[in-house]
Amino acid sequence: MEPNEFFKPTTAPREDEARTNLRMTVYVALFTALIIIGGYISIPLPIGPVPIVLADFFTMVTGVFLGYRWGLTSVALYLCLGILGLPVFAGGKAGLAVLFGPTGGFLFGYLFLVAVVGFIVHKGKPSLFKTAMALVAGNLLLYGVGVTWLKTVLKIGWPAAVAAGLIPFIPGIIIKIVVASALARTLLPRFQQGPVPPFRQ
Amino acid sequence: MPILETQNLTHVFPDGTVAIDNINLKIYPGEFVVMAGANGSGKTVLARHFNGLLKPTKGQVLIDGQPITKNILEARKKVGLVFQDPDRQFVGQTVTEEVAFGPENLNLPPAQVEAMVKTALEVVGLNRFSQQNPYVLSGGLKRKLAIAGVLAMQPKIIVLDEPFTGLDYPGVVQVLQQILRLHEMGHTIILITHELEKTLAHAGRLVIINQGKLVEDGQPEAVVYRAEQYGIRMPLRKGEEVKDLTWLK
Amino acid sequence: MAEITFFQYIYGDTILHRMDGRLKLACMLLLSLAASFATALHHYLLAFGLLIFALRLAKLPWTALLKDLRFFGLIILLVISINAWTIPGDPIPTLPLPGLSRQGVVAGLRFAGRLAIIVLVCAVVTGTTPLRTFGQVIEWVLRPIPFVPAARIATMVTLTFALIPVLLGQFAEMMAAQKARGIELRKNPVRRLYYAVFPFLEQMLRRTDQIVEAMEARGYSEVRTRAVFKSTKRDWLIFLLCLSVFLYVCCS
Ligand SMILES: Nc1ncnc2c1ncn2[C@@H]1O[C@H](COP(=O)(O)OP(=O)(O)OP(=O)(O)O)[C@@H](O)[C@H]1O
Ligand SMILES: [Mg+2]
Repeated sequence: MEPNEFFKPTTAPREDEARTNLRMTVYVALFTALIIIGGYISIPLPIGPVPIVLADFFTMVTGVFLGYRWGLTSVALYLCLGILGLPVFAGGKAGLAVLFGPTGGFLFGYLFLVAVVGFIVHKGKPSLFKTAMALVAGNLLLYGVGVTWLKTVLKIGWPAAVAAGLIPFIPGIIIKIVVASALARTLLPRFQQGPVPPFRQ
Repeated sequence: MPILETQNLTHVFPDGTVAIDNINLKIYPGEFVVMAGANGSGKTVLARHFNGLLKPTKGQVLIDGQPITKNILEARKKVGLVFQDPDRQFVGQTVTEEVAFGPENLNLPPAQVEAMVKTALEVVGLNRFSQQNPYVLSGGLKRKLAIAGVLAMQPKIIVLDEPFTGLDYPGVVQVLQQILRLHEMGHTIILITHELEKTLAHAGRLVIINQGKLVEDGQPEAVVYRAEQYGIRMPLRKGEEVKDLTWLK
Repeated sequence: MAEITFFQYIYGDTILHRMDGRLKLACMLLLSLAASFATALHHYLLAFGLLIFALRLAKLPWTALLKDLRFFGLIILLVISINAWTIPGDPIPTLPLPGLSRQGVVAGLRFAGRLAIIVLVCAVVTGTTPLRTFGQVIEWVLRPIPFVPAARIATMVTLTFALIPVLLGQFAEMMAAQKARGIELRKNPVRRLYYAVFPFLEQMLRRTDQIVEAMEARGYSEVRTRAVFKSTKRDWLIFLLCLSVFLYVCCS
């Protein structure tokens, strides 16, 4: 059995298929790396004391660009590297303990986020509205999972869980959704055109 | 039989640019061909067809009489392409990894990969740097590493795209010596450059591309006098002959 | 931040450099697990002792390492102070700062200790292991599992590590360029994020297509040479040492 069948091959002829697979392999690596550094770099914004962390932002972008299948691969890879003990989770954390700790729901939630965004954005004709809706739906799921998890692990009530796990992030979420939608509009068509031979002068 | 042949090769980009137009070219085993042309004439695009990185809009490329589309991996093994910008070519984090990448793609046993890497690094004289990061090497060494990377796959044909750009005088001499050495070892060399004064003395053939068309093809002694009309600097000064066109003493 | 050379391999020829990659990664897994289970002070001391020993063994350049760790030092300080002031409890008599609690400080220190262990383990392992080995080990682990494209995943892992420093460097460069052009003047947070990310992402997409092309030109194939691993008795000894530390921390 061809190992490729795991990622359902397209109907393209063999060589093109190998080409697409290689391209997506490298892109999965790129987006995984982006999610990782998203946990380290932050952009100071003139709103509130909490600087924006970009890991979830890049997860959204991953879904937008890679679609759900390769997007899920990318996020799963991210989680696995963290489990292995590499400090890839936001702020240099790592390990199973983080994954099953109070904030673990937000990490598992990335899987839902990327899947929903990737699935909706890549289904049918692209449009700004659809991208934005996909991002909203994805974030609802992410925070739904994250806050529920937080509540369960810490054994606190809903108000406390929402106050700790959702309210402070709302402005950031909105900004990220707007920017990710804008990026999808400008960069996604170019990305989908296929590899632009990069040697153009 | 030509080792590399292009038949009516044409490439039109999606935006309508005709980068190469109906190119017919036959390269024979053991040749040293210099391919020249002004900026934007289509040299790089042509070279990228030799190992199937770009697909022709029309026409085809044959290697040893076989269309390369039949077995693209085999074609990439036989035609080693050294990129115009070596930084773009590197895929490994150390010199060894970089050179091993090609042989590993051929699924050779580890011991053989190691041996091929060692030989390739010895040929270009980089074994001292085997654990270095490719990006921190000097310009000339980077170029040599790029050559070693394709050399490790033991290609019959080596295509070098402007290997002298950005190199200082010793760098050019180093790389030129390297190329001649490869030719002596039996590789067929296609050298893309517009600086004829550095290399033409060593070439057996000069091909000129102009605006995507193959306009001149023949003995350097015959063709060189017509180079200037295609935007290539006339390399010969008064009293000089083609055999003086080299940066090697 | 761009100076984080964190996932950087430092060439050497020590016991740890030569150690079987599979066992080395297993040790990493065990020690970072141990870090998450550590509770008592002597657990931390044990782990740190082991790590200092490993650092000596690996002969990694201390100064460069410390420079890299500076960034994590900041995070660790932050973690301690957040914990110290947010967890309620009794005040410390010798340090009567408002809001500071003893329980908070202890929790913060504990948390910071874990973080420090994880980061140090990672520093030792990545410092002594070429990136390619990570990919190879993961390929080796996945090899027997059917329907999993092991070679592809290995390539992804290797490329991910290779791309992290590139991305950080690119991002820092781009932020500097944006600062030079007065991004600070933009008050609109949406625009600010957009102008920070757009050029960065565009450049990285282009760079990625270049990598694809470079790999293609060299005939990239997923049916490729597989690594052979050899383990010595000494490698197993190191592994057993880590295993016993793990077991001790977990069970005591
Ligand atoms: N991706 C692309 N899309 C559209 N046109 C392109 C693309 N890549 C190259 N071209 C065009 O094709 C033509 C040939 O380009 P090519 O890079 O082959 O030139 P060249 O001879 O290698 O020039 P140089 O000496 O500058 O390297 C140019 O007009 C170029 O603008
Ligand atoms: Mg060119």
